[in-house]
Amino acid sequence: MSEVEVMGAWLAAVVVVWIYSFVYKDNVLYRFAEHLFVGTAAGYSIALSLDSLNKTAFVPLGKDIVTNWHLIIPLLLGLTFFLKYSKKYYWVARYGIGVNVAVGAALALRTAPMANIIKQINAAIVPLWTPTDLQTTFNNWLMVLITLGGLTYFIFTLFPKAEGKSTSVHKIYRAFFLIGVYGMMVGFGALFANTIMTRVGFLIGIYLQYFQPQPYAAIIAVVLAVIAIAYAMRRK
Amino acid sequence: MGAVVRRNIPQIIVTIIILLMVIFYFFYISSEVRTAFNTWDKALTDWVVVITAMAAIVGGVDILRYHVNQSRKKEPKQVFFSGIVMIMEVIMVAFAVIALSSGISIPTQQNFQWLYTYIYAPSDAAMYSILIFYIASASYRAFRVRNPPALLLLVVAILVMLGNTSLGELLWSGLLPIRDWIMTVPNTAAFRPITMGLGFGIIILGLRLLLGKETTWMGRRE
Amino acid sequence: MTAIEKIDKILSTRQLLYTLLIIAIILPLIYPVGLPIGISSRTKAVYDYIQDDSKVPPGSHVLIEIYYEVAARAELEPQVIALMKQLFEKNCKLVFLSTITYGPLAFQFLQASAPDVFEGKTYGEDYVFLGYIAGQESAVASLAKSITGTVATDNYGNPTSSLPLIVEANDASAYALVIVASSGTDTFGWYVRQWYTPYHTPLLFGALSVIAPSIEPYVNAGQAVGMLTGQRSAAEYELLVGRKGLGIASMDAQSFAHGLILVFIIVGNIVFAYTKLSKRGEKK
Repeated sequence: MSEVEVMGAWLAAVVVVWIYSFVYKDNVLYRFAEHLFVGTAAGYSIALSLDSLNKTAFVPLGKDIVTNWHLIIPLLLGLTFFLKYSKKYYWVARYGIGVNVAVGAALALRTAPMANIIKQINAAIVPLWTPTDLQTTFNNWLMVLITLGGLTYFIFTLFPKAEGKSTSVHKIYRAFFLIGVYGMMVGFGALFANTIMTRVGFLIGIYLQYFQPQPYAAIIAVVLAVIAIAYAMRRK
Repeated sequence: MGAVVRRNIPQIIVTIIILLMVIFYFFYISSEVRTAFNTWDKALTDWVVVITAMAAIVGGVDILRYHVNQSRKKEPKQVFFSGIVMIMEVIMVAFAVIALSSGISIPTQQNFQWLYTYIYAPSDAAMYSILIFYIASASYRAFRVRNPPALLLLVVAILVMLGNTSLGELLWSGLLPIRDWIMTVPNTAAFRPITMGLGFGIIILGLRLLLGKETTWMGRRE
Repeated sequence: MTAIEKIDKILSTRQLLYTLLIIAIILPLIYPVGLPIGISSRTKAVYDYIQDDSKVPPGSHVLIEIYYEVAARAELEPQVIALMKQLFEKNCKLVFLSTITYGPLAFQFLQASAPDVFEGKTYGEDYVFLGYIAGQESAVASLAKSITGTVATDNYGNPTSSLPLIVEANDASAYALVIVASSGTDTFGWYVRQWYTPYHTPLLFGALSVIAPSIEPYVNAGQAVGMLTGQRSAAEYELLVGRKGLGIASMDAQSFAHGLILVFIIVGNIVFAYTKLSKRGEKK
């Protein structure tokens, strides 16, 4: 590793430790690392957007303006976004935003019925009796009941609370409602377990990428963070 | 006239774009119309690619503006921290502009690479991973079984946690198939209504935009 | 004070819990134990799908969306590397792209982590990285129609029309498989709606563990051929392709950390039940 890379690796380990110090106490070193992050993140976002603009607009226009003339329109519409800071001409930005919103909505609108609804309904229609395979029968029943239960759970309008003695319709609704609740608890239990795996994975990745290569940097950063935390606690 | 230009014309543009993009996607009129539609459909999606990039630039500029205003408040601490944000942002953009003007790709510019590899990447990773500490403390302090659904949630969570790791295999080899079964059957069924709900939501939002009922995209000002 | 109350007082200190967690993760990484890793049927199904020459013919084109930030590298990068190894062994041609700004950074780290996988492969002919393309779902839709029509240059400034691989595979119909390695939920929906639904391009999901439950319906409905979830699947896939990487290296630490959190949950509930019962006893 060159000297510049070693310096960078030390800085990386230090920044990570100072950000983690927040979980113990908010302190000045955490604030420093946080603002460093915000500045580089904002700059990075602008830089990559410029790169994308270059690839998708400037270069095509430079290569063949006759065929790609239409790309001037989104460039102008994008520039109107800066007018949102003006008290008089803020509304000009709505033209650019409108095109964005409309195209995004149209792209999703024309494929969502098939992708999110019809295909899912197709997948939910499964045989409820497979004589050669009882496991599949059980799975299919569970699948159908929990799907119907979940859909019933999200109906907030058709079935008002029963006043007095509940009707048979309301009883069926409540049964599916409860199946939906318990079904979703299974889903959320799996979600919680997987959340732990993901977040622990992030921490493992950080250790292997930044602390293991530069342990001395991490140790020095920890010592400085402890001093900063002690100072913050004393001040309080 | 003012309101027409400020609100009505943008809404009409939105309505026309959505209508045309959806109608000609589903209905075939003739091959010439289909070819023209495909060309303009592609052009519109390319426009969005360009406009989105510009929007992200405006977002970055907003952060700069905010911190310029903060530093004007003249509190020493705030000036220092806002100064860090502004300096880092300007430096990153400066290197990007240097790359563009030299004709090289921005992510490959050496100084820009150094900054994003050794400052942005680790701090971004740290920010995302900090949540595990709160999950760990919440798992002791907040994850309490108060009713039967919570008990079911806990049991499933334990089974999946054991199945996800080698702990499960040490205890019993059947935990991995159980985890797979939980994920493929009850979990899928539980999230299916949510996926369908997402589809319904997309349709409803699209219709609201089409009919002009959804105007939040115009912002709060008149 | 009873024993349980003492335990509650000690464990209620958040900072102690954080420190225990850090120790549980770091110790097995410094002193690996080598706990067993079984292979689930779902991961095997993904492996078998790619191995099947009728599904992914040798030399076919595969698109890989790199949609994860640096933090998610630990879960998704090992998956991508293992998949890449298997695909390169079949001489498949890989086109990488990213619709998130972190993409170029993630790809740089990917290349640095797996130089052995890229060895012998020529940029432009065997693999290409298109870089970051703004526009999210619109970009995905536009790329499905024409890659050269959407982006004029790749991540390194090379004109896309001059790259043999892009010339061969310029739209959705040319791809045998699209791998979406994403730390977000929406990305999978974009590809389902803009690549699978109109063009029926097979999709393979590489997801964070936390995202997996919510995208299972797509896999179950056949809109994706399979899914790899998190470090567990990454470790299993590394075993299948025969390349030890971050996935396998992380599993000991995962097991210890999960064990610790399980202990926290169980002890927390024991304390809660004890407190509830003793309050009920006091009331009587």
